[in-house]
Amino acid sequence: MILDLHNHSIKSDDSRAKVENYCQWIRKRDLPIDGFALSEHRQFDSESDYRPLEDEYGLLILKASEVETDYGHVLVYGVNEDMVAAFDFSRIDLPLSLVVEEVRRCGGIAVPCHPGRTRVGMVAHVHQRGSVEGVEVIEVLNGGSRGTENDEAGHLAEEYGYRGIGGSDAHIVSHIGRCATHFEEPIESIEELVSALQHGGYRALRPA
Amino acid sequence: MSPRRYEDVEFGEDLPEVSPDVGMENVHRFCHATGMLGSRFMDHEKAKQEGLPQAIVPGIMSQGLLVAAIHAWAPGCQVAFVDTVFRAPLLVDSHPLCRAVVTDKNDEARRVEIDLTIVNEVGETRVMGTATVEL
Repeated sequence: MILDLHNHSIKSDDSRAKVENYCQWIRKRDLPIDGFALSEHRQFDSESDYRPLEDEYGLLILKASEVETDYGHVLVYGVNEDMVAAFDFSRIDLPLSLVVEEVRRCGGIAVPCHPGRTRVGMVAHVHQRGSVEGVEVIEVLNGGSRGTENDEAGHLAEEYGYRGIGGSDAHIVSHIGRCATHFEEPIESIEELVSALQHGGYRALRPA
Repeated sequence: MSPRRYEDVEFGEDLPEVSPDVGMENVHRFCHATGMLGSRFMDHEKAKQEGLPQAIVPGIMSQGLLVAAIHAWAPGCQVAFVDTVFRAPLLVDSHPLCRAVVTDKNDEARRVEIDLTIVNEVGETRVMGTATVEL
């Protein structure tokens, strides 16, 4: 099963993509992905119900978040009420250690994304200040990364033994499906995604 | 009136790819025409002194190149809205490509949404955005 684990919709301030258009695009272009996650910036979209779109297009649509920490941006899967109460998603200076710990305590998993990017990725921060305990998974393939940024993420994963996921980081419709994650077992819910991310059995890939 | 009819446009339709001229001479012409005479746009060495890899294409020139690509596809259409995000500098004297694709249709308003990107020689996105176009 292939899921694109990092995308933004019009719920994010810098994205112009409507979720239905993502679905239409995937089907129109016959992209080999089975679903995608929406990781809106600095928030969790608790209101939107994408089940009708899932049924219409036969895609799994999961909701996540992308928060901002002192080690760069971090994808959060398995957001629930306890987690939203545990820390302020809207802050841009969250300690990564706190995010990792609280997300895990609340039953989710935190995944630093685009680690190779300057300032907003964790590679440079790790080299300057050391690694952060509790990180197990990082995004090693990001569709918006440039130059050697994904290579740097891969090297970090090798050095610290992190598992790797892939996501397009799409902000416009036509960018979805550029990077994704292949899971050995089927996933049907956010709980199953979190469990899979915690236990392994997946790899990042470029589907096209 | 646009010779391209709304009814003939399909979701997912690619607009013809355009190779815009972002050579120094053309950028100078743009800068003089618009009064944007910043050295970061017009002089590689001075741009480097500002910490840039070399001179960069003005953002509104990039927007103009993308809108020109839309008009080349649908002459006479009305570009009602264009919104761009500058992900990385577009370098003067580089050889980028403007790409655009229809990603939504609004039958009631007879408007289409178009994804816009400018990529560099290795396919990295430098500018991306969307446009709303009335046909």
